[in-house]
Amino acid sequence: MTFTHLHVSTAFSAHYGVSWPDELAQSAAGDGATALACTDRDGLYGTIKHLKACMAAGIDPIVGVDLAVLDDDGDHRTQVSGRVVVLAKGHNNGAGYRALCRLISDAHARTSGKAGGTVPVAVTRAELASRTLDPTTLKPVLMVLIGPDSDVGRAMGGRRYLRPRTLFKEWLDAMPAGTLVTEIVSQLSAPGTPLSTAHAVRMLRLAEEHRVPAVLTNAVRYCAADGAPTADVLDSARTLKSLPELAAEPLLQPTGQGWLKSSDQMHRLAREIISAAGYGKADLTQLLSQTEALADACRIDPVADMGWKQPVVPEASVIGINQDPYAELVQRCSAGITRRFPGISGAREHSLRARLEHELRIIHELNFSSYFLTVAEVSRMIQDMGVRAAARGSGASSLVNYLLDVSHVNPLQHDLIFERFLSQDRATLPDIDIDVESAERHNVYRKIFDRFGAERVTLMSMQNGYRARGAVRDAGLALGMDGGEVGEIAKQLWRFSAGKFREALQEKPELRDFAGRVEQREMDGNQQLDLLVDLTERLDRLPRHISMHPCGVILGDATLLDRTPVQPSGLGLPMSQFDKHDMDPMGMLKLDVLGVRMQSAMAFAVREVIRLHPSKKEVVAAGNHGPGPQGTGPDYIADNGHIDLNAVPLDDEATFELIRSTHTLGCFQIESPGQRELIGKMAPREFNDLIIDISLFRPGPMKSDMVRPFLEHRHGFAPEVYPHPDLKPVLAETHGVTVFHEQILKTFDVMTGCGLAQADEFRRALGNEARENAVEVFFRKAARAKGYTPEVVDKVWGTLKAFGSFGFCKAHGAAFAVPTYQSAWLKTHHPEAFLAGLWEHDPGMYPKRLLVAEARRLGIPILPLDINRSKDEYRVERISSGADAGKLGIRLSLKGIYGLSATELKRIVAGQPFDSLADLRSRARVSKPSIKRLAQLGAFDALHKDAGGSANRADLVHHLQTLQSTGARKSSGILEGQMALPLGDVELRNVKPGLPEPSVVENVRAELDLMAVDVSTHLMDSHRPLLERLGVTTADKLLGLRNGTEVLVAGVRVATQTPPMRGGRRVVFISIDDGTGCIDSVFFHEAQENAGPLLFGTRLLLIRGTTRRTGPRGISLSASMAWDLARTETLPVPPSDAPVPQAAHPLDGITRSLAITGFNG
Amino acid sequence: MGLFSQSVDVSCAPDGQPQSLQWNGTTYAVCAEPLRWYERRQWWAEESRAPLGSGPGVVDHEIWRIQVLPANTSGQEPPFPEPLTLDLTRHIRSGRWRLLRIHDALHPTTA
Repeated sequence: MTFTHLHVSTAFSAHYGVSWPDELAQSAAGDGATALACTDRDGLYGTIKHLKACMAAGIDPIVGVDLAVLDDDGDHRTQVSGRVVVLAKGHNNGAGYRALCRLISDAHARTSGKAGGTVPVAVTRAELASRTLDPTTLKPVLMVLIGPDSDVGRAMGGRRYLRPRTLFKEWLDAMPAGTLVTEIVSQLSAPGTPLSTAHAVRMLRLAEEHRVPAVLTNAVRYCAADGAPTADVLDSARTLKSLPELAAEPLLQPTGQGWLKSSDQMHRLAREIISAAGYGKADLTQLLSQTEALADACRIDPVADMGWKQPVVPEASVIGINQDPYAELVQRCSAGITRRFPGISGAREHSLRARLEHELRIIHELNFSSYFLTVAEVSRMIQDMGVRAAARGSGASSLVNYLLDVSHVNPLQHDLIFERFLSQDRATLPDIDIDVESAERHNVYRKIFDRFGAERVTLMSMQNGYRARGAVRDAGLALGMDGGEVGEIAKQLWRFSAGKFREALQEKPELRDFAGRVEQREMDGNQQLDLLVDLTERLDRLPRHISMHPCGVILGDATLLDRTPVQPSGLGLPMSQFDKHDMDPMGMLKLDVLGVRMQSAMAFAVREVIRLHPSKKEVVAAGNHGPGPQGTGPDYIADNGHIDLNAVPLDDEATFELIRSTHTLGCFQIESPGQRELIGKMAPREFNDLIIDISLFRPGPMKSDMVRPFLEHRHGFAPEVYPHPDLKPVLAETHGVTVFHEQILKTFDVMTGCGLAQADEFRRALGNEARENAVEVFFRKAARAKGYTPEVVDKVWGTLKAFGSFGFCKAHGAAFAVPTYQSAWLKTHHPEAFLAGLWEHDPGMYPKRLLVAEARRLGIPILPLDINRSKDEYRVERISSGADAGKLGIRLSLKGIYGLSATELKRIVAGQPFDSLADLRSRARVSKPSIKRLAQLGAFDALHKDAGGSANRADLVHHLQTLQSTGARKSSGILEGQMALPLGDVELRNVKPGLPEPSVVENVRAELDLMAVDVSTHLMDSHRPLLERLGVTTADKLLGLRNGTEVLVAGVRVATQTPPMRGGRRVVFISIDDGTGCIDSVFFHEAQENAGPLLFGTRLLLIRGTTRRTGPRGISLSASMAWDLARTETLPVPPSDAPVPQAAHPLDGITRSLAITGFNG
Repeated sequence: MGLFSQSVDVSCAPDGQPQSLQWNGTTYAVCAEPLRWYERRQWWAEESRAPLGSGPGVVDHEIWRIQVLPANTSGQEPPFPEPLTLDLTRHIRSGRWRLLRIHDALHPTTA
């Protein structure tokens, strides 16, 4: 007889289980088991992976959950009495699985979904009892295992005879007949302690007394004994206590015996328990056979019980159709032709109709009409909300999507292939991703819940696994190491998996110091560091918690909540316990509704343009737009000044001129240092160039050196080569280099005649060792049969093999290129509104302060914070006086000031204007510290000037500081009646002067500290004397230098990237900003060795390097050495008698590194 | 009860149960069904490495409580010597045995 494990936690029991479902299923099957349970804690987090693993291993899955039960006594609804295992019975058309899903949702229903919630995930016994019976048949569909961690089991300790019996009796009274089982566990701990054989014996006797079946489990947490230390570390991470602390309590697992023991080992364990109980052979047989009987009752049929791989979409009535969905789809597509292609005729119409029929036939065959109609419905709903929405990804390959207004890319124009998206050879629901304005995403979610009904919609979740930094922190916590010390180590861990920590110690220069300390352990007796490395590696990738997926929404029919358990997300909306990998197996329709900040920034800019220029005429003049067909401006500008971005033609020369200038900070997809370099080299002239640019800037093409030959051919430095003339039409747009998936599909099709659907299957097999061989055999044979020479076949196969697995879907590129172009267009024509939108929604990769520098470079004035003029958002303002009179400037927003609460902000904006501080205090009820901070930022400077006082900002801050520390309540002593009089602000007028005006450095420091931007002046300005002494070259001068000039540059870090590179050697890109522009430097291996810990650990850098010209308008630096500018004593100052200039720096004492440098080093 | 940690030689039956041991030059035979359990180790203090694949025995070690009599008592006259109760520990990774405790025969401790 084999043994079936009925109580097993997988790694998806966050901070508890150690092993992956695959390992467990394979190990069980390897030992001859025919079934295996997955009973994760609090949910079905690992269940679908378990199903998959069991099916792969050829064993039956059993599904269940390990759940806490609330104490029935009194109102203690936050008190957990213990935990039980609940298993779903199988082969009952899903009745067991349904009940399990609902039960788990019950357990989460009262929780807040937020971290640190006080309500535990748990069910009441009444809920548990009611779910165990099927509501229609009233037959038991769930089995409840009362084991060592239940209230009964926990009461086994000590010598109390009666207590466990009383508790067990309560269970018997509460639960329907035939749903209760006792769970016997011995992890061989010391006699009389929890999980000891002695306790198992007591539980067994209890079962005997009450004639309740007993089953044997091992309460498994790890696949093999080797996992026990990892479980200890997870216990520490879960409880936030170190191992020595836990050992003292004692709260650690009593032994390391909780692994997936073999049948032999479990049988021996059963014999040990039976003999310790003084029972005989019959009892042994009974224990083991009852275990197997329960296992048999709970074997799950993935298809019949859980709906494995059966797509479910919302009912037709819900999406508002009352005819056959296919007929509806055909009708809507016809209507779409009239709308999208007015007046189309002749050959164009013929090819359009042919394409449409082709797509519709495939959709019909797959029975996916409802799916397309559902997506169209969601898309229509979003656009009706007035929110920008656009399909991204391979969905843009579909003409049907274009005709249904789901996508805005015409697939015929860009030669996109439907089969890349969907074909009859691939029966899984395709992914359609919809980009919406990020600021509206949550509203869109709520609207979808309203529209389809809460029973049909839930958010998808995602698993967050341990990465290097989190792993080293938790490993350090477990070892009881000093938090600061571990934090220092964690800082240096940058973009590698925790599982390769020891390897990284050998290789990474920034870890050199730490590696040295690990080596030295023999000398200073510090064994902990070595152990720290091992434990960090053990935690690698283990799930820590689930959270709301950034975009996935699951849509189903009215049975959705029978098929997935849900729990509250941080947003308040319910979230499925399944992640993206579980969607296809469970036949779930997942829509990716992505919040794209750039869409919000652009929508904001368009609104600002209307606000400033409320007519078509003004917008045309302000944006320097052409005269248009009627001479009154282009059609995409409405009479009220609204710009329809989607209608802007994709060929604006001024926009391409801006893109070629590489001043693309803030533009979608093309603002990173690497992209600016590529844009500089490529010099895009038309929209298709942008598609190619975006597709080339991917790890694959960069790694495999596709970019260089492409550029050489593009610029005519080298002749284009085609492996065969037949392939010229396929590869001409990219000058003979294979860039797109679509080109791979066509290459297969041209050379073998396999058809595009089959070609996409071949493409998917590329890079997959198991399947690629068969593809190669077919390709060679079929291509030879079509008469291609062996040389051509060899060459083409080489290309397919090399590029196939990481080429880029052109439809993705096309969908991305649209917002890229649109953002560049806005930056070209309405830079002030565009920058205001960027500041408001912060869509880019850089810290916000770099965009301030960009505004400075563009000559756009930045208007200071002003209590009466600043709003809760960035605003473009026409400047009325001074040197910049008549220009447009950007007024800083009151939002995002450190310490200013959202309600204070709301009251300030609602109460504007204020005539005095007293007015501000009384109407906006702004706290004293907030008023002081506003004063530090100069928000009262204008009011102060109007009041006619002679004091300065420092005096005012001092005055407010005094009020704050004396704690006077009605602070100013002004009588109520005075406020109504137009006297100006008596308090401000009377502030005592005397302190020196705050220095620029002090002002900038306040700005950095409170807003993380340097507004008054660039934060590098105070370093100017030192930099001149060092002979530093500024960013604006670099372009004038020869290629290969050695220079010193200095600035504040704004970007740090380690993209994958050819040959697998790491390259680090560091960009710095010196106030005149951005300098992109690249650190190759040797430079990384030289710079060591400075690579990731410093904010202000001095870099030595040689210039590399990257294109007509682009230049970057190949670094050889770096210094920390803040450590003046280390700098390579040329010898001289004069002392090294020492200046106070605005960054001194400021800790907001992430917001300021974009890097949390 | 005395607490020791002294290396001893133990011979086991094929199923791993101790049968006899050599201690202080005397051979003892196990005279009753032994009791076995596992106890935690403070592995984070005792080990300097715990890489993946260390195998069993990092977290716990095996304890055997055995009752023994000197092996050569067969010809003795009464009074027979009282059996000694010993706790042995087997280090799982090295397989080495150590004597952990000797229970006072007059105050036998039970589980």
